[in-house]
Order: sequence, then C-alpha cells, then structure tokens
Amino acid sequence: MADKTQTSANFSSVPVMLLLTLVSLPLVLMYAYLFIDTISNSEAGSLIPNELTLEHWRFLWETRPGKASIWLVTLNTFIFAGSITAVILIVSSMAGYVLSRLNVPARGLLLAGVMVLHAFPSVTLIISIFIVLQYVGLYNSLIGVILVKAAIDMPLGIWLMKGFYDTVPWEIEMAGLVDGASRFTVWRRLVLPQIKPAIMALGLFSFLTGWSEFILPQVLAPGSQVQVLSVYLASLIADDNNFDFATFKAVGVFYVVPVLVLYVFFQKHLMNIYGGGTKG
Amino acid sequence: MRTSRTLGIVMIAPAAIMIFLFYLMPAILTGIFAMTNMSTATGISGGVFQVTQGAVNRLGPDMPELASGIAEPRFVIDEEGLAALEALKLKPGYAAELRGQHIGEVFASRREAERVIKALKDRPSTREVKQISDLFNRSVLNTRFETRDALIGNLEKLGFRLKPEEQDKVARETYTGWVWTTDNFKVIANSPDMAKIFLNTAFYVAVTLMLFNVSYALFLAVTTHYMPPATASIFRAVWLLPRITPVVIYVLMWKWLTWDNGFISMFMGQFGVPPKNYLLDNAYNAWFFVILINGFIGASMGMLVFSSAIKAIPQTHFHASEVDGASRWQQIRYIILPQLRWPILFVTCYQTLSLLASFNEILLSTRGGPGRATEVWSLAAYHTALNNYTGNLEYGLGAALALMLVIIGVILSLIYLRIFRYDTLISKPLIED
Repeated sequence: MADKTQTSANFSSVPVMLLLTLVSLPLVLMYAYLFIDTISNSEAGSLIPNELTLEHWRFLWETRPGKASIWLVTLNTFIFAGSITAVILIVSSMAGYVLSRLNVPARGLLLAGVMVLHAFPSVTLIISIFIVLQYVGLYNSLIGVILVKAAIDMPLGIWLMKGFYDTVPWEIEMAGLVDGASRFTVWRRLVLPQIKPAIMALGLFSFLTGWSEFILPQVLAPGSQVQVLSVYLASLIADDNNFDFATFKAVGVFYVVPVLVLYVFFQKHLMNIYGGGTKG
Repeated sequence: MRTSRTLGIVMIAPAAIMIFLFYLMPAILTGIFAMTNMSTATGISGGVFQVTQGAVNRLGPDMPELASGIAEPRFVIDEEGLAALEALKLKPGYAAELRGQHIGEVFASRREAERVIKALKDRPSTREVKQISDLFNRSVLNTRFETRDALIGNLEKLGFRLKPEEQDKVARETYTGWVWTTDNFKVIANSPDMAKIFLNTAFYVAVTLMLFNVSYALFLAVTTHYMPPATASIFRAVWLLPRITPVVIYVLMWKWLTWDNGFISMFMGQFGVPPKNYLLDNAYNAWFFVILINGFIGASMGMLVFSSAIKAIPQTHFHASEVDGASRWQQIRYIILPQLRWPILFVTCYQTLSLLASFNEILLSTRGGPGRATEVWSLAAYHTALNNYTGNLEYGLGAALALMLVIIGVILSLIYLRIFRYDTLISKPLIED
C-alpha cells in the first residue's frame, strides 16, 4: 500500500490528512482534557491550566458519605469482568468446537440460532430479566448480573470460536485419533493449543466489555455493595449536590486506564473482533 | 470411547442452558409480560381483592347503588359478632336479645345500628353502645380478601345480591394483581406520544446510519487507504477510541464539551457569548449531539469492515488505473465502491439493529430530553418499565415496547441470514464416529 501511495505522483495526501485531522480534533481534545483536567486547576473561564494539583484524586483515599469505597467498587469490577471472561471462554470454547467439528443433531439449526441471537437487541430483554432475577432472588447480586452478561455475550463468543476452529486442519485431529486418543483428549490436547490467539482475543474482548458494561449492572445490581465502576461513576455524575467535573474525570481516568493499556498492547487481537463488534 | 454425538451434547450443554435461561426464556417472557398489565402497583406475583376508593369510583357509573353501598360502613348482626359480644362479658341480655330479635339485620350506617342497640331492654350506656356496634361493623372498604369467593360472600352478607356478570365486574375492579390484557398494544397504537417516539427512532436510526455508520466510515476507510501506513494506523486508532472507551466516560467527555461550564461555552466565552448548555438547550442541538455521540462510535465498525474489504482488492487494479490516468475520484467510483457493495449492505443491516437497541448513550447524555425530544423506542421501553419519575413502573407496557424490538430484531436477522448465506458456513464433519 505504501508502495502504491508513492507511485501516485499525481496526488498528494496532505489535503485529506488535514481534513481528517480537523474532524478528529474534537475526539483528541476530549481525550487530552480528560487527562489534563484531573491533575490541574485552571482559572474560571480559562482553558489553560495554571497549577498542578492532586486534589481531584482525593476519592482514592477518602470515601464520600453514602458512597461505597472506590477499592470495593474496583474489586467488584474485577470480579465482574474476570468471571464473565472465565465463563465465556470455557463455555464458548466447548460449544464452538461442537458446532465446528462434532456430529450433533441439528447442528445447522443451532448455528443459525446462535447467529440470530448474536444480532439480537439483547437490551430489550432486560425488562423480563429484571423481573426474573427479582423472582429467583438474584437481583442486586453480582452472580446474577455476571450470568446474564455472560449469556448475552455468549453467541458472539461461540460464533468467533467456531470460526477459529474451522481453520484448524482436520489432519491434526485425525492423527490424534489414529494414535488412540478420544475426541475429548484430541480437543483438549491438540486443538485447543492451536487456537490460543482466538482464546486470547476473546478473553480480552470479554474482559473489556465486562469492564465497560453499564446498563446491566445499573438495572440488575445497583446496590452500593455490588456496584461496579461504571455504575459508581454514573451515580457520581447524576448526584447534583456534588458537581465537580475534575473529580468525575479523575474517576473516569482511573476507570479507563486499564482499558487503554490493554488496547495499546493488544490492538491487533482486538481489531479482529471489533470489526464485527456488537456496539452501536 | 464416547461417540462424538454424546460428547457433542455434553460439551454444548452449558452454552445451551445459559442461552436458554438468559436469552430464550426472557424473550418468551417478554412476550408473556407484554400481554399483562403488570406494574409496580399490581406486583408480579399475583394480588388480592380489595375494595379501594379507586375501585368504588370505577364501579360508580355502572352500579351506583352498589358503589355507594360499599363505600359506606355496614353493620350486620351476625353470629360472629354475637360471639365476640359474649366474650366481652357485658350484660348477657344484650347478646340474647340481639340474637332473638335482630339476627341477620343489616344497617346502612352506624347511626341506624346504634339506634337499635340503644333500644335494647337492658339499656346499654353510650360507651357500651359504641363498643357493641364496633363488633358488628362489616364494612368492606379497604379490607383485603384473599379470594374472589371471600369477597362475593362478604358482599352477600351485606345484602348485595349480584348477578354473575356483576360479580365479574366487581371482582375485576377490585383485584389488585395483574391480569391478562391486550391494552398495551392499543396504547402503543393509539397514543400520540408513541407516534412521536416512533418518528424519533426512525429519524435517529436513519440519520446516524447514513451519515456516520456508512458514509463517514466509508470516508475514513478510503482516506486512510490512500495514506502512508503509519499515519493511517494513527487515525484508525483515534477513531476506534470511542468504541473501546467505556460508555459512561465517553458520554462524560461529551458532557464536558457541551455543558454550560464546558469547553464550547468557555471557548465561545472568549468571544463574549454567554455560556449555555449546548446539549440540552433545545431539541435541535440535542439531536445534533446525540447523533454525533452515537455516530462516532458507529463509524469505527464500518471503518474496519470497509478497510479490510479495500485491502482485499488486488493492487494491480490500482496500478493499472493509475497508468490509464484515472483520478482518485474515478478509482473510488469504479474500483473501490463496486467492491464494497456487500460490506455496505452488511454494515447497514447490522448497525440498524444495533442502533435500534442502543440507548445507553442517549440515556447517559440527554435522558431523552429536553422534554422528550430525543426519546427513542428502546429508551422509552426502559423508562416505562424500569426507571421513571412517577415511580409506577409499567412492566407490561415496557415489555410490549421491547417485544416490538425483539420482533424487528428477529426479522432483520433472519433476512440477513438469508442474504449473506450463512448456511454455506456449515461444513460436514470429516470424522464420523
């Protein structure tokens, strides 16, 4: 591609680049100020900071009355995102293998069903899930919302894993069978190691969506003991009595940094999945 | 050795159970709840029969006599009351005379009952009259009856002989639990609010989809295609940020940009424009920012899909066209766009569904405001059933709204299962055992 760009001496890419820079400016500005505002103060009405400060990070060592401690909330978020990742990886790596390779009845139908669900507006189910969780007593508990979130992301996981299993050569499995291994052993010992990149990608993706999820915990587990960071931050912002953008941003940075770190280090893995991602 | 069939069933079972419990069942339940009038007021587990003032008012027009009757206190001389009277150990003559002379009599007011009690031969004191009359108070207003029979039985004791259809009506009006009904759909079809929300949704989905998810994504994909790889990857990374940033922070940043103490206000302040909340001051601005907020997220998916499709075009096409003196525009028009027909269709289908269902961003930024200017269908379902200011959460109506989306979702995904021929993706297993 670089080669081609150079051969085309008739055209310069500078104007396009300028245009794109201009439209990207709001995004860059918003992100830049997200970080700048958390460690600095500026005079009223001015956009240029005039002093450095750590006061906006007070929330790390001071717990506001009526709010959960940030560390409990962070722990909850780790448990939430981690459990979702574990459940999705285990369940969809098994189901994906079945749909890709094993001879089960109605395989085509199952796969089509998964595809329909994958494209399904899952948030529309939230009303009945809310009522069901209340009825079975899992409302306002981390377990309930973990199960729901994992199940909602499951179709995408199964679909992805199935796609990756499809690329593993049959010869590997046949060789294993000839040597006397069972289908299960073949899967566990020979096939799974082949799709490590897929497991990596799906694991990262699940962790990030779990970490970012807002509406499910907000509706299904709003209590202060089971709050996750997204709900915590949203409740800070919604609280009209303590309006302080810099603190919101500091909490926001605290919340977004793990995401950005993972994104920077594992961009390649993630690109594959976001290409067919599930967000609007 | 287990056959692949049993192994397959065992291995797929966890996924099947989870999907059944948290996907299919909620979808079916959404359909069921949509046919009820469940709300906070009715509860979700069933109700009792209670003659409330509201029920009396509703019964008023059809059964004025009954309505005024049950709203008033009623006094009945019955065995239950007599037993209680005997237990009070007042003069034995009271109970004996009431039983002998007045058993079964019904009085429409306390005054009438007390007149009879006062006239007893043993002459009860005023305090005793009050005490005795209380024992015979059989008013139904605000009393809870566990079953319909208990309610009707009590009304009969009070002297209301009801025809079966009247009984039905009374039972219906006094029941506090939820009932089956199709009213939700009538409300959706007839309410002007819903029509407005429908138009909002159509506008929001169409404009965001065309401007950002397709056009702007296409623009990003094509422009980054013509850039040196390093520059291109920077721009792609920047435009992926909205998608990977957790939605709460992403919207927070937009609030910082648009609120009255935010960036735009401060920036305009340099030129003497008074600060204002650009996000919520009027419906046009609200829509403008709602579409930007969602569009910036949506653009990245199209960008990635289109970029990889452009990358799949053989380089020789571009080289040949350059030799023939094609302009950039001609390359885009005759080489790139024809190759992108299917990706564009795919993104359109996929994102229509995502946009229909996405309400996180709108909820967090404008909450559907100002007024209800930016309320869309899925947000309306959420507001109706799970979060509103009046406090009466109408699960039934909300579920009916959600059901519409579920149906649209299933239809759209079936259509694109057909268009994109997913059946070709299933290959037969090569190992049969």
